[in-house]
Parts: sequence; C-alpha cells; structure tokens
Amino acid sequence: MSAELLDDLEAGELSVQFEGEEPDTVLAWALERFSPRIAISTAFQTDGAVLLHMAYELDPSVRVFSVDTGRLPQETYELVEQMRERYPKLQLDLLSPDAAAVGALVGKHGPNLFYKSVENRLLCCQVRKVLPLQRYLGGLDAWITGLRRDQWATRSDIRKVEIDHDHGAIVKLNPLAEWTEDEVWEYVREHEVPVNPLYEKGFTSIGCAPCTRPTSAGEDLRAGRWWWETGAPKECGIHCAIETGGLEHELHALLGDDHD
Amino acid sequence: MSVTLEQVLKRNSVERLKREKSPLAILEELPALIAAGYESVPEEDIVRLKWWGLYHDKPKIGTFMLRVKIAGGLLGSKQLRAIGELSNEYGRGDAELTTRQNVQLHYIELAALPEVFARLEAAGLTSAGGCGDTVRNITGCPVAGLAQDELFDTTPILEEAATLFYGNPDYSDLPRKFKISITACADACAAPEINCVSLIGALRGGEEGFGVLVGGGLSSVPRIARELGIWVPKGEAIDVLAAILDEWRGDLKYRVSRVKARLKFMVDDIGPEGMRGRIETRLGRRFDDFALPPRPRASNHLGVHERYVGVPVHLGLVSGDQLIALSELGPEVRITRQQNLVLVDPVDGVADELTRIGLPLDAGELRGNAIACTGEPHCNFSVTETKSRMDGLVRLLEARFPRGQLDGLRLHLDGCPHACAQHWVGDLGFQGTTVRDEGGRRLQAYDIYLRGSLDRPAAIARPVFRRVPTEELDDAVAGLVGGWIEGRAEGESFRDFCDRTTDDELAVLAGREAHVRRAA
Repeated sequence: MSAELLDDLEAGELSVQFEGEEPDTVLAWALERFSPRIAISTAFQTDGAVLLHMAYELDPSVRVFSVDTGRLPQETYELVEQMRERYPKLQLDLLSPDAAAVGALVGKHGPNLFYKSVENRLLCCQVRKVLPLQRYLGGLDAWITGLRRDQWATRSDIRKVEIDHDHGAIVKLNPLAEWTEDEVWEYVREHEVPVNPLYEKGFTSIGCAPCTRPTSAGEDLRAGRWWWETGAPKECGIHCAIETGGLEHELHALLGDDHD
Repeated sequence: MSVTLEQVLKRNSVERLKREKSPLAILEELPALIAAGYESVPEEDIVRLKWWGLYHDKPKIGTFMLRVKIAGGLLGSKQLRAIGELSNEYGRGDAELTTRQNVQLHYIELAALPEVFARLEAAGLTSAGGCGDTVRNITGCPVAGLAQDELFDTTPILEEAATLFYGNPDYSDLPRKFKISITACADACAAPEINCVSLIGALRGGEEGFGVLVGGGLSSVPRIARELGIWVPKGEAIDVLAAILDEWRGDLKYRVSRVKARLKFMVDDIGPEGMRGRIETRLGRRFDDFALPPRPRASNHLGVHERYVGVPVHLGLVSGDQLIALSELGPEVRITRQQNLVLVDPVDGVADELTRIGLPLDAGELRGNAIACTGEPHCNFSVTETKSRMDGLVRLLEARFPRGQLDGLRLHLDGCPHACAQHWVGDLGFQGTTVRDEGGRRLQAYDIYLRGSLDRPAAIARPVFRRVPTEELDDAVAGLVGGWIEGRAEGESFRDFCDRTTDDELAVLAGREAHVRRAA
C-alpha cells in the first residue's frame, strides 16, 4: 500500500504556513519532498524563467518542461537555446503535441483554424497544449507553476500548495503566488535571467506566434491575445495559462467530453 | 510586525480592485456596461458584480448565476412567487436552494439585470452582498417563531443584523466573506460550528441572551468554531457582532493575503480569549463569563408539525413553476440549510398538493438530508458532476436498503475544495477529483471523507478513500453503508460507527484500500 503524498487537509495547512515565505523556501521544500517526480512548468515567460533560475540554483538536476506547440515564435526558440547554454545541466523536456492529432486537426480545419471560430481555437489549444500537458502530468507527483495572484483579477486566491484536482490530484505548487510583476522583473535584472526579446517589442504576454501580438501603450492588454475573437470565454483574454485549469474547464464546457 | 496599507495594496489585487472602484457602486454603471455589451466588460468589473450576488455561469460567455439573499431563510409567499417568476422570465425556469438558505437562479443575462434587481427590490428582496467580501446571508433556524421548544424567537435580531449589514458599504469591504448564524432553538440547528460567528440563544436565570462561537469555516482550511465564553444580553447582540467585524476588518494583517484573511485565521492567531479582549476593549465593557450548555443533535425540520411541514427537496432543485405553486400553499415559506423547504401554516390537503407538484412530503430522510453543491453544469470550479452524482448515490442506497434503515444518514457532495456542500462535516463526504485510466483518459473520481459531523462535538472529516473513480463509487458507498447497518449498535450514528471502526476495517467494507498518510 503506497502512502499518499498529500491530501487536501495537509495541503490546506501547508498553504497557510507558506504565506509570507520566499519563493525559494517553497521550492526547496517541494524539491526535497517530491524529487524526482516533480517538474517545473514554464512557457518561457518571465515568471517561468525566474522559477527555472531559482530551482536550478537549488538543484541543477531539477526537471523543467514546456509545451512546444509547434507554433511558438522564433524568439521563444532562441530563448530556449540561450537557456540551454546558460544552464548546462538543465533537464528540459519540450513536450510535442501528438503528431497524428495535429495532422487530423489541420487536415480537417486547416493550419490557421484558430482565426475561424472560438471552437476551432479551443480545439487547437486542446490538441497542441492541453493534451501534451495532461499526458506529462500523468507521470508526476507534483508540478510547479509560475502563477501569480496579481496576474489577473480572478487569480487573487491562488495558494502556494494545492491539490490539483484537474490533474489526478497530484500536488501543485505556486511559489511565486505572492510576487508582483515588478518583483519578477527585479529578480530578472538582478540575476540576469534570460528573457524573451519579444517583451522589448511590446509583447505583454507571449504564447503561440499566430495568436499573440504586441500591444501599444494605453491599449488594453487583452488586445494582445486572440484579439479577433468575439464570444470567447472571459478570463482567457491575457495570460491564459494552461496552469490554471480554467482553460480546461472552458474546453470541457464548450467542446464537451475529452477529445483525446 | 504591523502591516501598512501600501503592503496590502501591493500584495492583494482584490484590495486594489475594491479601492479603485467600490464593487457596490458597479450597479450605477450597469446601463453603460450593458450598452457596451458583455464582450467589453472587463473581468475586474465581473469580479465587482459578485457584490450583487452574481457569478459567471459556465462557460463564461455571458450569463450569470444570481444569488438572492434571504436572511434566516424566511420568505413571504409573495416573495417566493416573485423569485419563481424571475426564474421563469429571466432564467431558464429553475432554481437552487442553498446551504446558506439562499435561492440561486441561473442563466440571467447582463441586459436583464436592471429589471431583475428592480423586481427583487419591489418584492422586498436583495442580492446585495450575496457574494464578494461581505456579510453573507445570515442563517438561522428555519422554524424560528414556530417551534415549541425554542428559547425565544430570534427573528427580530436576525432582521436587525441583516438590515445593518446587507449592502452597507462599511461592511462590504471586508477582508473576505463573513458568515453569521443566529439561533435560539433548542438544538442550535444552523451549523454554528462552521460559521465565522454564531450567536447561540441561551437562558441565564430567566434572562434571554446568547453565547458566542467564533472562527469556524470550511473551504480548503477547515476549522470548527471555538467558544468565546461570554454572556451577551439580547440587547447587546448586534453590538457584539459589529465589534467582531470591526476588529477584524480594521486589522490590515488580514488583508495582505486572501489565503489567510478569513476570521478563522484571526482566531487561530489570538484565540477566543484574545478575541474576547479585543471586543471588550472596543466596546468599553466587560462581559460575564458564560459556558454554553451542551447542544443536542440538530433537527432537519422534515415532516409534519403543528405549525409547519418540512418538505424534502431532492438535490435542492426546484423549478420556477414549483416555487409559484408553493406560494399558494401557505403564507410563509422557509429555506433550510439542508436545501429543503418549510411551509408555514400550510393549507388543508397540503400533502396531496405537494405530491401533485412533484415535491412529495414522503420522499424520505435520505433525500432530505443529502446536499450537493451547484457544480456541473453551472459552476466553473467543479471538476466532477455533483447534484446528478448525488442523485445516483441516493437512488442506489434507496434501492439497496429498506428506507427506514437510512434515516439519519447525511451525504454531502462537493465538486471542488471550496466545500459549498460541506463535505468536511457530512457522515459520508465526497469531494470531486480526477484520475487517469491506463489509457491516459481523464476520469471523474471522488475522495470519500469520513468521521466528520455537525453532531456535537462537531468534527472535521478526513479523506479515508481517495480517487475513487465514479464507476466504483457506488460499490464503495453501498459497502460502507451496509457495514454500518449490519454492524451498528442500537441507534448508533454513522459517524459513531466510523469513529470506532479502523481504516482497515472500513477498507474491507468499501472493498478498496484506505488512504495512508505519509509521515510528515
């Protein structure tokens, strides 16, 4: 009989204990407790890059993963190369979507299907992002995200330790929950963490190339993602991180049962 | 270490959002929001709409759940009819009764809100503070003023509290939500152990007053409330409620992080003694020591009584048409925390009428006691079916066991850790989760919580079985309930049975391995 990692009661108490603690305290605890069946999720935005840097300092053998949808901007791939040089022992898993599923999707709806309807866009997110994530999490006991409370009005209650009931009740850690955007950038500068050059070109949120664009000063940040859509679910207009589980709930509601 | 407002605003985006624009004031902007259209409404304003009892339905594409607050669950028939009509005209003809004695409607469109709010107001109803950082619906005994064994009728105090707190800007910028219950029935039936503050009626030398519990609450970090140890004369009850609220809302420490904002964390920090000291200092007077007498098992108010009938409402689901029909069956209706209804001074032949409208009085205790959260298809948090899965469990047990054998058994099912259906304190608590099968497909599953109860002493359950796939849940539940029925002593409750049974023995009954905690 295997002993459970954490239950909701323990996770709840831990989440209270870790309030006010620095991110690397939470990270150190998590790596100690869950290695080697723990990994960091990063989309190579600043939050994920900071997390990667912190974890690498603690333990260079830490596993890091990112979903390579196949449609990422060239700058993101260049950043990946830069990271590989900067962190030579980095154990980076780039998750590819299932080739047959992508083939079927593109064969049926075309390569730029996402511009045609919200359903198509969500289907594309499902095949290229969500399913690879779900498959990978199936092999973990815990995962670490860069989610922060100040990213979005509805993320204000994020806990540093949660049971991830969207993903088989593994443990989910959000060490940066309390940090502000400014603190993330300060850390980036202080530690010279490599960041995506697209930020300098006015991007506020970096996802797939066809679905992300820079915003100009004064423009609503939501204009940076899926700007052509009407009738899309709220909350996904910006920073639509797969880490929240929210996207999966919307997918379920709009597309029905799993498409895998 | 004292906390500054600057720190609060830096760390807590909701505190910023509340200060940028008062959520209550969003009502004045409704015409502009409607004119611009749902698409253009910023998510921050959607958050503010919570203060008027509104949540996104699922998916988040333009309709809302509306939570109508009903202090103490007390409604006139005309009000009930008004809610039924709103459901039919602006929703999709259905409604939910909630564990805080509210009524919730779904699929209300943004453009309809001004009319809906006007209709509520005309009926003497409100949704102000239905959600958000407010004093939530104040709960009470659903047969207050009707029960022969109550110590006194708390309705006037409950209404005074509701009038003071609901929609009051001073009490609508709280660190987080705040839950109050007020009872003076013999069994303190309003679940005082899981409210932030509860006034529990008592007598002292013939004088009417209250003992007080503080710091209860469930959600992700459950706490059973603790006794404040003071005697509060009836006339000072509102002062004490306000003083507790004022001490908490004025302490910036509880605004830095929403994870540690609820009153229960203040009680964790300073204890009931510390809380008592702060109340006494604030009010400038000492309260006498007082220990509440033991409280018996709480009634569910079902069945036929002298002044009322308690109607089990399966899953707490009613249609708009049923609400309208119910409004013809008596002058007053009350909503219970078990998601049921009480009809006051019902018309002759009420049993037949109830059967005719699909709410039979004899639906059984199991149905009356079972509660399930909103969940699928409405709620954005739930990861599993909730009410529909509960329906399956209830039907399974009804088919498997003689009905009388199941009396007293309380099933509580939630689709997420927020615990709206209070899975931490059911006889059998269920929390939705997921598992992957061998092919990697995601399956709905449930954790089974045992040994929790609101029976005194109240206790928080622990997950004894985890990740039970929904297809295997029936067998596990039937095994556990069957084991209790066969093995129980005369009158032994399910909780007591589980308390004296080991996890390994329960595992045999459930036909699966128990969850073993890893040593810390």
